[in-house]
Amino acid sequence: MAEISSDGTAVIKTEKEIGNGMSKKEAKKIRMQNMTASEKAYLRRRSMAEKVWPFFRFVILFGLGFVILYPLIYMVSCTFRERTDMNDPTVMWIPRNYTLKILKETIVAMDFWNTLKTTLVLNIGCSLVQVVSCAITGYGFARFKFKGKGLLFGIVIMMILVPTQVISLPLYTQFRFFGIGNLTMNLIDTKATMYLPALTANGIRSGLMILIFRQFFKGLPKELEDAAYIDGCGPFMTFVRVMVPNAASSFLTVFLFSVVWYWNDYYVSATFFTNTKTIALMLQNLDTELKLRLFNSATVEISPREQIVWKEAGCLISIAPILVLYTCLQKYFTEGIERSGLVA
Amino acid sequence: MTDNKKTGRKMPYEKRKAMYGYGFISLWMIGTLFFFLIPMIKSLWYSFNEVSIGTGKMVTEWVGLAKYKYVLNVDEHYTEYLKDMLLETLWKTPLVIIFSLFIAVILNQKFKGRTLARAIFFLPVIIATGPVYKIINGDMSSTGNTGAAQFSTMFSTDLVGELLQFLGIYGLSDNMSTMISTIADNIFGIVWASGIQILIFLAALQNIPPSAKEAAQVEGATAWEYFWKITFPYVSPFILANLIFTVIDSFTSPTNTVMGRILAMKEDWKFGEASAMAWIYFLIVLAAIGLITLIVNKLIYYEVD
Repeated sequence: MAEISSDGTAVIKTEKEIGNGMSKKEAKKIRMQNMTASEKAYLRRRSMAEKVWPFFRFVILFGLGFVILYPLIYMVSCTFRERTDMNDPTVMWIPRNYTLKILKETIVAMDFWNTLKTTLVLNIGCSLVQVVSCAITGYGFARFKFKGKGLLFGIVIMMILVPTQVISLPLYTQFRFFGIGNLTMNLIDTKATMYLPALTANGIRSGLMILIFRQFFKGLPKELEDAAYIDGCGPFMTFVRVMVPNAASSFLTVFLFSVVWYWNDYYVSATFFTNTKTIALMLQNLDTELKLRLFNSATVEISPREQIVWKEAGCLISIAPILVLYTCLQKYFTEGIERSGLVA
Repeated sequence: MTDNKKTGRKMPYEKRKAMYGYGFISLWMIGTLFFFLIPMIKSLWYSFNEVSIGTGKMVTEWVGLAKYKYVLNVDEHYTEYLKDMLLETLWKTPLVIIFSLFIAVILNQKFKGRTLARAIFFLPVIIATGPVYKIINGDMSSTGNTGAAQFSTMFSTDLVGELLQFLGIYGLSDNMSTMISTIADNIFGIVWASGIQILIFLAALQNIPPSAKEAAQVEGATAWEYFWKITFPYVSPFILANLIFTVIDSFTSPTNTVMGRILAMKEDWKFGEASAMAWIYFLIVLAAIGLITLIVNKLIYYEVD
C-alpha cells in the first residue's frame, strides 16, 4: 500500500516525501533496485511527463487567460483615465492622467445605486424561484414514465432552441392583456413579467436548466429512491429529502448561471420594462443617458474615441457586482461539487 | 393526504407513478402553455399573414406562403447570412467542445493557482451573454458608434501583429501571418464561447469517484488511457448538453447576422417577414439538433437505464 502511494501518485505527494528527510529517499533507492526494467521505464516516463507537463500547462493557461483578461484590463485602464488620453497615441495601457471623474460621472448617469438595488432583488428572486421550478420539472422528466413524455420533452428542447426574439412580440400582447376572456389586466412594466415565467419554469433559458437537471438526475443511481420508496416515502418527499441533498452542487451551479443570465439580459427586459431600470438596460442606453444627464442636451457631440472612456467605465461598474457575487459563490460552488463527489 | 394515498393504492403502481410524473411537471406545463406555446403559434400565424398595426391590436390578413417565398427569393441578405451562419456553427461547435473538455481536464488537476485559473476561465460565463460583451466585441452598431468598433478591432489585431514581430516571423510570408491572425481571432471567439461548457465538464469531472482514479493508478494506466477509459465515460452524458448548448449559443448570440436581419425586419414593422425568417431558421436548427441528439444518444453512457 505504502509503496504504491509513494511511487505512483501525483507530484505533490512525492515532493512532500522528499521534504520529509533522507530515510524515505533511501527506502526508495532500495525499492528501485528490486524493480524490473519495465517498471523502471514506466516510472521514468511518468516522472518525465510530470516535469514537462506543468510547464506546458502554465504556458497554455497563461496565454489563454490573457485572451480572456485583456478586455477587462483595458476596461480598468480606460475607467481611470481622462478623456483626452484617448487621443494620445502614446497611451495604450497606462493612463497619463489618473482621474476618478469618469467613474463618478458614469455612476451618476446610470443612477447606479438605485438601479443596482432593483436589479439585485429582481435577479436573485427570479433565479431562486426558477431554479426550484426547473429542478422539479427536470426530475419529473428524468425519473417518471408517462404518456406524451417524448412530446413534452420535445417542447423543452424547443424552448431551448427558439430564440426569445421570435416569441417576444406575441408574448408582449400576452402580458398586455393578461387573463381569460374579458378579465384582463396590463402586466407590462410590472415585475410579474419576470416572476411569472420564472415561477412556472419558463424564464430566461429555463429550457436549458430543465435539461441540465434532467441529465443530472438521470445520472444519479436509482437505488437512492428505491430505498426511500420502500421506507414509505412519497415521491415528492423523496425528491425533497433524498434527491435534493444529492443535487446540491447542481443547484448551486444552475443558480449561478441563472443570476448571471438575468443580470445580462437586456432583450427581454427591454421588451417588458418601460420605467423599471436594470443595469443591463442602463448600459444599453448609456449613450443617451450620458448626454442628457452630464451635458444637459441630447445633441451634444462627443468624439467616438472619447466616448469609449464612459462606455468602458459603464462596463466595469456593471460587471463589478456580479463579479463580486461570483467570486463568493465560486468558493461555495467548488466546495459543493467536491462534497457531492465524495458522497457519490 | 390520506385521500391521495387511498386512491393511490387502488391504482396500479405504473399508473400511480405516471400521475406523479404529471404532478412534477404540471407547473411547467401551465407556464409553457401561456408563455411559450401560445406565443409560438401566434408567431407562426404571423408568418402566413400580412401583419399591420391597427387601433389597439394587430390586424392580420392571410397571404399563405407569400412571405416565405419573398424571404427566400427576394430578400438580398437572408440566404447569404443563413449559409454563413450554418457553416460557422458547423466548424466552431466541435472546436468549442474539444477545447472546453481539454481546459476542464487541465483545471481539474492539482496545481498552484488553480483557483485563480478557474476564476479566469469562467469569466466569459459572466460576461459573454450580456451587453458588456457586445461592447468588448467591438459591436457598437446598436449605439450607432462605428468609430469605436474600428478602434476595438484595430486594437486586438495590433496585439497579434506585435507578437508576430517579436517572434521575428512577421516578414516571412503574408499568408502565414494572415493565417495566424485568423486563428488568433478565432481563439478569442472560442475561448469566450466556452465558459459554460468548461463549467459543466468540470462539474462532471469532479463527480468521478476517487476509487476509479486509484484503480487506474494501481493498474498503471497512462494519462491517455485514463482519459479514454475513465474520464470520457463519466463526462459523456454532459457532452450532449454541451453540444446542444454550444449550437444554441451560436445561433442566439448577439453577433449572429441572421438574428440581426430578423430584428431589423421587426424594427421595420414587417412582422410577417420577420416571423417567416425566424421560422425557416428555427426549422433548420431543429433538424440539426435532432440529428446531433440521435447520434450522441447512441454513443453516451448513463449509469442508470
